[in-house]
Amino acid sequence: MSLFSSQIPAQADKTSVADTGLKIAPRYEIKETPEAFSLQVYLPGVSKDGLDLKVDHAEVRLNARRAWRKPEGWTALHRETSDASYELVFSHQSAFDADTIQAELRDGVLRVTLPKAGAVKPRKIVVA
Amino acid sequence: MRIIRYTQPTGRTYCAPLARSPWAGLEAEVSRLFAAARSDQVPAETAGRFPLDIYEAAHLTTVRAELPGVERAAISVELAEGTLQIVAKRVHKTGDREETVNLRRSVLVPEGTVQADKVSAAYENGVLTVTLPKCEEAKPKKVTVDVA
Repeated sequence: MSLFSSQIPAQADKTSVADTGLKIAPRYEIKETPEAFSLQVYLPGVSKDGLDLKVDHAEVRLNARRAWRKPEGWTALHRETSDASYELVFSHQSAFDADTIQAELRDGVLRVTLPKAGAVKPRKIVVA
Repeated sequence: MRIIRYTQPTGRTYCAPLARSPWAGLEAEVSRLFAAARSDQVPAETAGRFPLDIYEAAHLTTVRAELPGVERAAISVELAEGTLQIVAKRVHKTGDREETVNLRRSVLVPEGTVQADKVSAAYENGVLTVTLPKCEEAKPKKVTVDVA
């Protein structure tokens, strides 16, 4: 992408990023409770089929592509959104209990509950 | 509780004209610090806005708005006096507390171009689609002219 188009938001939006394979980071929030981390990601336009969430020992990786494509013969009069797919990667230190991770996608919002592994949960030690 | 404003994603982050500058790292860090400091404040002119696209086809015009995480009942679409108004409420829940964010955008629709009684709206995957069928007069017409 040229310097010119990168400096002007309207231009940057018009150059279709879908074709170049570029990815954008979605908006997200992370909250922590003593038992789990909860991750909320805003993914407008993403259906369940286009969503790929992977958690391994080192990272949480989310890839999502939009379900809607502009039909043939339609002209974009005004664009504020992007066609690019979403990508979000977090690294972690084996802190999750991989078997009990729960994820729910509803109305373009993905909510993931990542329960902490037993070893990292706060533990109260009673002094005898 | 902090409300993270939903802003339109752009491809700008990825085209880094500063990449060649020796100060690129420092500049990025300074921008990041400013962004972090300002993230709690929502500028008045962009508060309650959400990104939308407008598409045109031969027989209809479509408005697509990104409204992730909004209840269907909290979305209202109205077409009156040449303006299509989309109003929505997003509720943030933190424990027992609830905060409501009002979202509002309007699009000018020239009167006499849209069949107002046939306007429809659908909400799927966090995207609201409003379909505005064109009037007969506004549809493109094919005129064949015989060349004598």
